[in-house]
Amino acid sequence: MKGVPATASGRYRRIKTGLACLLLGWFFLVPFLRWDRGPDLPGQAILFDLPGRRLFLFGWEFWPQDLPIAVGLLVGAASLLFYATALAGRVWCGFACPQTVWTDLFFAVDRFCEHRRIPPTLVKIAIALLTGFGFACWFTDAPTLAGRLLGGSAAPGSYGAVLIIGGLTWLLGVYAKQRVCLHMCPWPRFQAALLDRDSQVVTYQAWRGESRGRKRIPLREDLGGEPGGTRGDCIDCTRCVAVCPTLIDIRDGLQMGCIGCGLCVDACDTVMEKIGRPAGLIRFDSETNADAKSWTKTLPRPFAAKPMLFLSVAVLALGASLFAMLTLSPLRADLDPQRNPLFVRLSDGGIRNDFLLHIQAREPGLSTLRLRLAEGEAGLLRLGGHGDHIGSKTIDVTLDQRELRERLLITRPAGADAKGRSPLHLLVEDARDGQLLGTVETQFWGPES
Amino acid sequence: MAQRERDALTGRLTTGHEWDGIKELSTPIPTWWITTFLISIMVALIYLWLMPSFATTRSLEPGLLGWSSRGELREEQAVAAAAQAPWRQRLMALPLEEVSKDEELRRFVQAGGRALFNENCAPCHGVGGGGQQGQFPALLDDDWLWGGKPADIVQTVRHGIRNEDGDSRQSAMPAFGETLSKEQIAQVADYVLTLADKTKGEARAALLGAAVFKENCVSCHGDSGEGVRDFGAPRLNDAIWLYGGSRDAIIHQVTNPRMGSMPSFASRLNEESLRMLALYVHGLGGGE
Repeated sequence: MKGVPATASGRYRRIKTGLACLLLGWFFLVPFLRWDRGPDLPGQAILFDLPGRRLFLFGWEFWPQDLPIAVGLLVGAASLLFYATALAGRVWCGFACPQTVWTDLFFAVDRFCEHRRIPPTLVKIAIALLTGFGFACWFTDAPTLAGRLLGGSAAPGSYGAVLIIGGLTWLLGVYAKQRVCLHMCPWPRFQAALLDRDSQVVTYQAWRGESRGRKRIPLREDLGGEPGGTRGDCIDCTRCVAVCPTLIDIRDGLQMGCIGCGLCVDACDTVMEKIGRPAGLIRFDSETNADAKSWTKTLPRPFAAKPMLFLSVAVLALGASLFAMLTLSPLRADLDPQRNPLFVRLSDGGIRNDFLLHIQAREPGLSTLRLRLAEGEAGLLRLGGHGDHIGSKTIDVTLDQRELRERLLITRPAGADAKGRSPLHLLVEDARDGQLLGTVETQFWGPES
Repeated sequence: MAQRERDALTGRLTTGHEWDGIKELSTPIPTWWITTFLISIMVALIYLWLMPSFATTRSLEPGLLGWSSRGELREEQAVAAAAQAPWRQRLMALPLEEVSKDEELRRFVQAGGRALFNENCAPCHGVGGGGQQGQFPALLDDDWLWGGKPADIVQTVRHGIRNEDGDSRQSAMPAFGETLSKEQIAQVADYVLTLADKTKGEARAALLGAAVFKENCVSCHGDSGEGVRDFGAPRLNDAIWLYGGSRDAIIHQVTNPRMGSMPSFASRLNEESLRMLALYVHGLGGGE
């Protein structure tokens, strides 16, 4: 078929198929996992709640200010990618990259529809739209999304996601295919910096393949042929080219177009078996080993210096993120000084500062909080602008839907030192057991003299 | 007449012009461009016909659709007013003191009150209500010239202070520079300075200014300088001094007093807005 590589079968094809099923399953099914968070919160195990500006990840709930955790996770993931690349070349590209997985899926559709009187284009459109749908599922309640989309009640963003991601899937997976890997993707551009001659890459063992030629040409003597034979193990059947998704010839050596999927390895091994020659003419191997003309392949060296460097960065970044995730603060409290005016002078000579108090709790059970100032800081607290003018040393506040947004007035009584600028620490405690949940640091302003 | 001919080399027509043997190839504007241009003109004509486009001597010719930006604003305002109607009814149905107990209504009043405050009050009293020393009183503190209950604030905002409105709050402090000697004024200033200090109870009575204060000031500012709100006479025994709390400032104020004025808002704000505004000011921190 035009534009569709031939099928290969063997070890790497099986790994690719299995991994693709796993990844597609992850992509499409994980949004349907449920996680009970009580009546007021979404019950989706993983949910990117964009309107609510929060991310639900099983028992965790992340807010925009938790971004450093995401940075750590991304740095860790990138370092793991570097590690895998330094060890075994572009295994990410060949096996796990969405571009590879979806392109492979569309190739499978082409092969399946051939001779079956099913128009492949329709199937591909369906898959593309389904991909858009699967993407949208991560951002909204997945089980009801299909109904809402068809009933016209879904958010405009959901329709946008289905159409845009569906369209991109079509553009990248059906139209662009290997052109993405060759011309668009930045990853191959810097893989040279990550690889060395000991990295495992797809290697054509030229020392035993050359000179290639038709099978009736006698085999070289050192390969077990007859004296005077000139042909190497490669019979120039070009199966390795036929199965290549990026349409390259691996026998030209390591090149940018190779995504390391190993399909040519499978194709060549099949042929070698048929002609009764040992497998491994094309194999995952290090260039050093290929130069050494060894019949046995080397294994990856996970503890070499360069891969270890990447691994240690990954471990550090992921460890830091995990630590931050495990010690996540149970609430977020902000005290915004209302600086117009900086302070209010009261009739008894006391000085008051007005703040906007904003508390958000992660835990639904947290409903009543106790506010007090740190030890040694004079000041009376009062919530809201109404009520008595005096305030008290501690006040209890009640959260509504895990949130509180209210004016907090803090008064330093006459006689207490309120000159100039002084630090202020507001302690937020759980009213049930007095456990300290957070400290907000801010400034108290008073007159200069 | 210029002769149009086909250029042998390119196979294209020439414009027929010739300059010293040099001829120009005809390169007409592409058809798609001309078509787009003509369509644009058509669209513009239709637009002129539908939308207000021509000024007449009196106003703007309204166009077939009768659209106007003012009308669009009116429609949006009507939608907003309809959405707010139930809240405004609730606000008017409750006594002023009860409004803050209804949490939802309180939020509505705070939001609406803030908008009204920024529009009407902030130019003098500041966006945060902090006032301006020497000119406009702060609205955040617990000191009120004319009363700090919601109903008092409604009254003050509706009719203003010392203006042409017949119901405005009126009072005037005499200029004592004409009736008292400079010495007496200095004595009374010293006396006033001690009023806020509770520890000076007995020593205060012995001051020379005590007699001057009793004769001239107590009728408005009260026996102990606690102020009388009916006259808008400020408290003198506290820490808040609109026109300054130094001895010089007090002497100046007694000699030649300054008195603030505030416009009447009766014609600008309706009853609902007055209530929202008063409750917002009441909630700034000093409401009684």
